[in-house]
Amino acid sequence: MANGADGAGDHAASVAVAAHAAAAEDTGGLASWLTTVDHKRIGILYGATALAFFLIAGAEALLIRLQLARPDGQIIGAQRYNELFTMHGTSMVFLALMPLSAAFFNYLIPLMIGARDVAFPRLNAFSYWVFLLGGLFLNASWLVGTAPDAGWFGYAPLTTKPFSVGPHSDFWLLGLLFLGTSSILASLNFLVTILNLRAPGMTFLRLPLFVWTTLVTNVLILLAFPPITVALIYLMFDRFFGTPFYLPAGGGSPLLWQHLFWIFGHPEVYILILPAMGIVSEVLPTFSRKSLFGYPSMVYATALIGFLGFGVWAHHMFAVGMGPIADAAFGLTSMLIAIPTGIKIFNWLSTMWGGSLRFQAPFCFAAAFVGMFTIGGLSGIMHASPPVDLQQTDSYFVVAHFHYVLFGGTVLALFAGIYYWFPKMTGRLLDDRLGQLHFWLMLIGFNLTFFPMHFLGLMGMPRRIYTYAPGLGWDLWNLVCTVGAGLQGVSLLVFLANVAKSLRTGAPAGPDPWDGRTLEWALPSPPPVYNFATLPTVLRRDALWQAKHPDARGPGLADLRALVTPAGPIHMPQPSGWPLLTALAMIVLVAGALLHLGVVIVGGLLTLLAALAFATELVPAAADHGARAVGDHADPHIGATGLDHRKLGIWVFIGSECLFFGTLISTYMVYRGRSLQGPYPHDILNVPLITVSTFVLLMSSFTMVLGVAAIQARDVRAARRWLLATAALGTVFLAGQVYEFNHFVHEGLGLTTNLFAATFYVMVGFHGAHVTVGVIWLSALWYLLTRGRLGARDEALVDMAGLYWHFVDVVWIAIFTLVYLIQ
Amino acid sequence: MSGHRAPELHGGEATAGHGPAHAGAGPRTYLVVAMFLLAITVMEVWIFYVPALARVLVPILLILSTLKFALVAMFYMHLKFDHAWFSYVFIGPLIIAIGLAVALLWLFGHLGTTGVPPAGAG
Repeated sequence: MANGADGAGDHAASVAVAAHAAAAEDTGGLASWLTTVDHKRIGILYGATALAFFLIAGAEALLIRLQLARPDGQIIGAQRYNELFTMHGTSMVFLALMPLSAAFFNYLIPLMIGARDVAFPRLNAFSYWVFLLGGLFLNASWLVGTAPDAGWFGYAPLTTKPFSVGPHSDFWLLGLLFLGTSSILASLNFLVTILNLRAPGMTFLRLPLFVWTTLVTNVLILLAFPPITVALIYLMFDRFFGTPFYLPAGGGSPLLWQHLFWIFGHPEVYILILPAMGIVSEVLPTFSRKSLFGYPSMVYATALIGFLGFGVWAHHMFAVGMGPIADAAFGLTSMLIAIPTGIKIFNWLSTMWGGSLRFQAPFCFAAAFVGMFTIGGLSGIMHASPPVDLQQTDSYFVVAHFHYVLFGGTVLALFAGIYYWFPKMTGRLLDDRLGQLHFWLMLIGFNLTFFPMHFLGLMGMPRRIYTYAPGLGWDLWNLVCTVGAGLQGVSLLVFLANVAKSLRTGAPAGPDPWDGRTLEWALPSPPPVYNFATLPTVLRRDALWQAKHPDARGPGLADLRALVTPAGPIHMPQPSGWPLLTALAMIVLVAGALLHLGVVIVGGLLTLLAALAFATELVPAAADHGARAVGDHADPHIGATGLDHRKLGIWVFIGSECLFFGTLISTYMVYRGRSLQGPYPHDILNVPLITVSTFVLLMSSFTMVLGVAAIQARDVRAARRWLLATAALGTVFLAGQVYEFNHFVHEGLGLTTNLFAATFYVMVGFHGAHVTVGVIWLSALWYLLTRGRLGARDEALVDMAGLYWHFVDVVWIAIFTLVYLIQ
Repeated sequence: MSGHRAPELHGGEATAGHGPAHAGAGPRTYLVVAMFLLAITVMEVWIFYVPALARVLVPILLILSTLKFALVAMFYMHLKFDHAWFSYVFIGPLIIAIGLAVALLWLFGHLGTTGVPPAGAG
């Protein structure tokens, strides 16, 4: 550990005391892990689970490479090969790399921003359990011999029923829908945490860059996952109910799938790479003993990559014939992304330039990231040019490109992060000699595997072929690729051996083994359950570094010692079993779709009950009627910003819902006029009836806002009355929708009649489902207020329900106009 | 930026979190907004049934619908009075959603050419 100023020495002594206290805490048995809501434990769970899935997906890749090592390979057949590359891609993206990033988010974000936990600890646990069960569900497909086989992109119509018989694609779409729940809820949690739980003085331009990349990544998740959710819902309806969303024979378009998938899929690339960039931006300065070069430009580049990431998706579709204007537009936006990316690369190089470099394992992986990611970025710019892309698309050149980005980039950076923060998480250093061995084996193996794929692609070898004939000139390079893959496998064995050895006999890390710059290194390794004994007051960027090495501009922290010196009792969230139980109920519902309708119904009821128990778990038996001042920091729901986490959370959720309903409404409009047979909208839509329903829903917004006003005026009785009126009006609206649907069916417009019916029923049905959730929510609030379990002080809960209700109302305002009046 | 929190975090005319009141809005305001919402809806339906307005039906309806949307968001959802962050996390995604919708309509040939006949888009 580096020695700093006197203050830092005192601090080290205090850390030792706090570390002892932390060691004395109950680390618990299995039950404590099943019910934990501690962000650090959840981070470890994410990391261990994601590493396990990473190994499984890696083994799948090894089988692929063994099959392709020689021409006319006979190790596996075509069907198994399809399953392997589908599950390899799906698992790497959704079960390994994203969750490994989430592991770092979980463990580090509260520590880095100076908080004691995330904004919603139980929701955080729920996100993890959904991820675990979703991953197990997807991989259970191997056990029943029906693993997904249509690629990680699931292109329609390959995934539709006529072309994918059996439950292969059902496992895939249901698994991804389920996993999406985890991703969206986790990203909501981290967004609110970063916005609202920052320590005093931790302004946006003092945030560590990893926190910035986490912030932008989670914005991307919140906005990119709703379109893929809608796309998967359409696929589910096509497969389970026979709708024609993606079937040209019914007027549908497979291109709709491609657009919706890549509207998600390209931001997904940034979802995978931005956290890696954040890790590297923490590791390189520490091991160069310099500040990150160009910090503000790194922040702006991160934000710009996130923003531009939404305008480039169709560069994955140059080959489908979108037209020269569309190709040019998406080519241009794709090339623009090279600018902020280039800024980052030059800043990393400048950070290392002239620094006192320490060539330890974390630095080696981070430095290699810069080189390998740059190679992947350069081949990416080639693909931004439509004519060049047309020569390379669906060839091994593309496989080489994205592996240089996602393995040479993301995976190397994740290993940099593991070597860097493993001592903080476990209290022990990983063996650096084994780390170096792991690094060199992996770097050489990686380049042996993927660099020759550039040549193979340019020589015409297509992707996704399970074998090839001899004499095409591909034999040697394929063999080299396979040898490289084997080397990577060996490197992973070295890594696992290192972890196993270091956990038992690794050198004690101490609180700050790297002379770190960010707040987590001020705490014992591992940190106590409460993180900070006293919340830090941050005075400068690189706060801890500045505190240890103060210069003329003053220290980085107000009081370094106070961080580890408890001043009194600290209340942390209680463990809860409901996150796990709710996730289990949901997986019954999901699995039921493959088994029997009865299981679906049972799973649905269990999910409803578990969700209600989860939601009301923290509601006291009797309301606390005391008044609380606005911005009272004793309220655990209020951040230092003065904002209520829950209210900010519901707004973030509503923001995500904008993309969900935006996609549903967009599809309806895109498919307008494409039905091959009637009834058509003008034949059947009943404007007078729906006008009455619209009046009812608008009035329910009026009664809802009166309910919020009443509880803010401490008039609980009036609030109850207005909530009941709102729920009743919502029920009347739903009754109108049931009547309308029933009428349509009698008029011959079933779900599968035509494209209009499919888009209409799914869009309006999902709106109705939201209204139903709102009615249940309002009824529960009314009940709790009536029973005295909630009181005037719980106005935030009514306010949140009100915001949700009004959002459902504004969605209907859009549907009423775009569907009923503009026919 | 310097100091504990950016100054804008405590800006705004009313409560930032869950405060007792949203300054400038009360039951009377809510009633007026409700009356506007009803009146605009009546106007929308009336326009829908007037053949003479068929050519301008779409832009008028879009404007009126946007007005209703804005009234609910500003007054019932309190964006006019609440902390600016709430507006950012709502309006930002809303703009992206509208942008994606417009792009999809264009790519499927509903809003002008992408360089090929619309049939080529699907």
